[in-house]
Amino acid sequence: MKKKKYRLYGKKKKVTFAQSLAKYFKDFGTAVSKGDKAVKLSLVLMGAGFFARKQLMKGIIISAVQLMYILLLIFWAIPNLADFGTLGTVELQMVFDPATGKNIVNDYDNSFMILISSITAILTLVVFILWYIHNIKEVYKLQLRAEQGKYINNFFDELQTYKGANFHRTLLTLPTLGIILMNILPLFVLVAVAFTNYDKDHMPPNALLSWVGFENFKTLFSSGGMSLTFGYAFGKIVSWTFVWAVVATFTCFIGGIALAVLINSQGVVLPKMWRTFFMVTIAVPQFVTLLLMRNFFRDDGIVNTLASNSGLLDFFKNIGLVKPNMSYIPFLSGGSVGWAKFMLILINIWVGVPYQMLIATGVLMNAPQDQIESARIDGASKWQIFWKIIVPYILVVQGPALITDFVRNINNFNVIYLLTQDLYITSDMKMANSSAKEVDLLVTWLFRLTNEDYNYKMASVVGIIVFIICIAFTLVSYSRLMKGNKEEDYQL
Amino acid sequence: MSEKDQNKTSGSKKMQVNVMPVRSVGVRRKRMISAVLKNVLLAILSIIWLIPILWLLVSAFNKDPGINYAHFFPSKGWTFANFINLFKSNSAVMYLRWFFNTLVIAAFTCIISTIFVFMVSYAFACCRFEGRAGLMRLSMVINMFPGVLSMIAVYFIMKSIGLTESHIGMIVVYSAGSGLGYLIVKGYMDTIPASLREAAKLEGASEFDVFKEIIFPLCRPIAVYQIISSFLIPWGDFVFAKLMLGHDVKNFTIAIGLYGMLSKENLPRYFSQFCAGGILISIPISVLFVLMQKYYVEGVTSGSTKG
Repeated sequence: MKKKKYRLYGKKKKVTFAQSLAKYFKDFGTAVSKGDKAVKLSLVLMGAGFFARKQLMKGIIISAVQLMYILLLIFWAIPNLADFGTLGTVELQMVFDPATGKNIVNDYDNSFMILISSITAILTLVVFILWYIHNIKEVYKLQLRAEQGKYINNFFDELQTYKGANFHRTLLTLPTLGIILMNILPLFVLVAVAFTNYDKDHMPPNALLSWVGFENFKTLFSSGGMSLTFGYAFGKIVSWTFVWAVVATFTCFIGGIALAVLINSQGVVLPKMWRTFFMVTIAVPQFVTLLLMRNFFRDDGIVNTLASNSGLLDFFKNIGLVKPNMSYIPFLSGGSVGWAKFMLILINIWVGVPYQMLIATGVLMNAPQDQIESARIDGASKWQIFWKIIVPYILVVQGPALITDFVRNINNFNVIYLLTQDLYITSDMKMANSSAKEVDLLVTWLFRLTNEDYNYKMASVVGIIVFIICIAFTLVSYSRLMKGNKEEDYQL
Repeated sequence: MSEKDQNKTSGSKKMQVNVMPVRSVGVRRKRMISAVLKNVLLAILSIIWLIPILWLLVSAFNKDPGINYAHFFPSKGWTFANFINLFKSNSAVMYLRWFFNTLVIAAFTCIISTIFVFMVSYAFACCRFEGRAGLMRLSMVINMFPGVLSMIAVYFIMKSIGLTESHIGMIVVYSAGSGLGYLIVKGYMDTIPASLREAAKLEGASEFDVFKEIIFPLCRPIAVYQIISSFLIPWGDFVFAKLMLGHDVKNFTIAIGLYGMLSKENLPRYFSQFCAGGILISIPISVLFVLMQKYYVEGVTSGSTKG
């Protein structure tokens, strides 16, 4: 029997984005055309409509903010935006100052500051226009209320709405500002830098930047000659990033479930003890274990010593896993790409499986016992119960977490960087020319590009591509996995 | 029972008597073997997982300050000095200082981001306003933009407002965008019956009162998760701290401080101290993790469609 549903917040209508956009501008149009003098005056002085309805305080505040923004626009935004097209024209120079008799720095243009300021200015302008449109609509609504003879809020009432009907604005303002500062602004800056020539030969403030169009994207997707190897490195790194993300996600996921099932299965003595053993590895922070591992598996490290003492090295040489001229197993040093990739995955399993085991244990405990019980009564074998009931259940519950894990593994900076930095040396000159290594993920490559090569333009291009990959993957899989919006079913 | 067995039982009583005990002994033996195998397998896996931790532990007590290449266990004798030396600051190692740096950053990060997350969660879970669904979708897309990618831009933005090489800058970096991590807390709030809120509003409570008096107290368990998980971020973060905090050793957080102890020139002198420092830092972190563990699974799986 299906539970009768009722919605608390009324029936939802499906509205497409285009429709809501059209409505947005239509409302603005009606407000302007049907508004009275006060509303029309608000097009110039934004507080005018409030003055006309005797909302003095609100009118003053809104007009003051408008005035302040216009001043900001004139004295800060417009001068910066004027340079946005060229990114500055006055190069940094030492000039002779007659007053002090010394050479001083001239009044130069800092291209990067112009870039950041311009983008900030554009963002504030967009916010201002949205607020402006909203304000006209608001003023028009007020006019309608006045015409209908309804009560008009005084300033105190107005403030009270920010604890009531407008509470979401009170709540969202600060977090949104933070997100704009930390996420949205950097995103736009990154996109902008991808179209400039910001690299080690053009480092503001010593040099000026200029726009180069799609030049950097062309560099990334074409590979020719020894100097232009980005395309070569990009292809190799993208494919390794995907292999890594898939293998790392699934080995940890399956390993975690297998371990949880094994510990929970019949005949295992002291399951709590075993679980604690694996939990110990979680207790040590990840960066400590990773830094430890890289020394554990050094070419002259303890594992290699033990391997050569025990004859393991010779055995590997005999079966061809280690080249005969090597006196050690090249775990992470780049002597062999295969070994390094294998070790990275292995160490990632070591790091990741205990977490997954913890999660899987919790998920298994909540598995639908009634279904399992009735399946058992119907004569299903343990194997059948596991594959037909428990596995689908785990997939449903952990599906979204699996996607998050996958995206996190695409961006798994710590594991790759801490295990290979200063340790892995690539023997491929083409890779080295674009500061890449075979074991790099897109993100670590990006970090190396900026930190070692100061190649910000290419790093930005790589960044944009990673972003697009992550978005595409998440949107596709989320829409598949989360059919329908169930958030209100539980609020009843 | 299968058809074959039924034939046997109906065929002769004698056979049934003979077969049953034999079968059960066989089953018991099989069970025994599988139990032994399982335990042996677990023991092997545990050893694999514990060997590096054991190496960390024994190296922390190594009298030789450098890394031991030849022997697993310390060959020059055992000492407790590595732990004691951690608390004696010198130009390269200021463990206590790093610890307090991280503690301060973590405390502020934790307060700000918990407040932000709860604000956003309440707005999305309990308020109904125009553009709510659109904002939620937008925030999901923005959240896909990995922090590592934006770090160059973040670095320059912070530099332009003069917050690099400062702990305030680190707090801003860790907490400003935290509002995006609302999914888990919002999911928890979604499970609180809306009738509670409606009733309170009928009694004349404002949204603010509902948030303060009803929803927040009910969210205490998930608040614990949120507080601890945001507190743990600065302890494990490596990238941003390395990029933002420059080269001044006394500004370091624990993570980059310990990383610095393993640089080429420091490795022979400080490896054992690094191990000691790693163990010390594990203690508070694991205590917090155990406290949080109950909600950890719920947190990770909360993105799924329940039911």
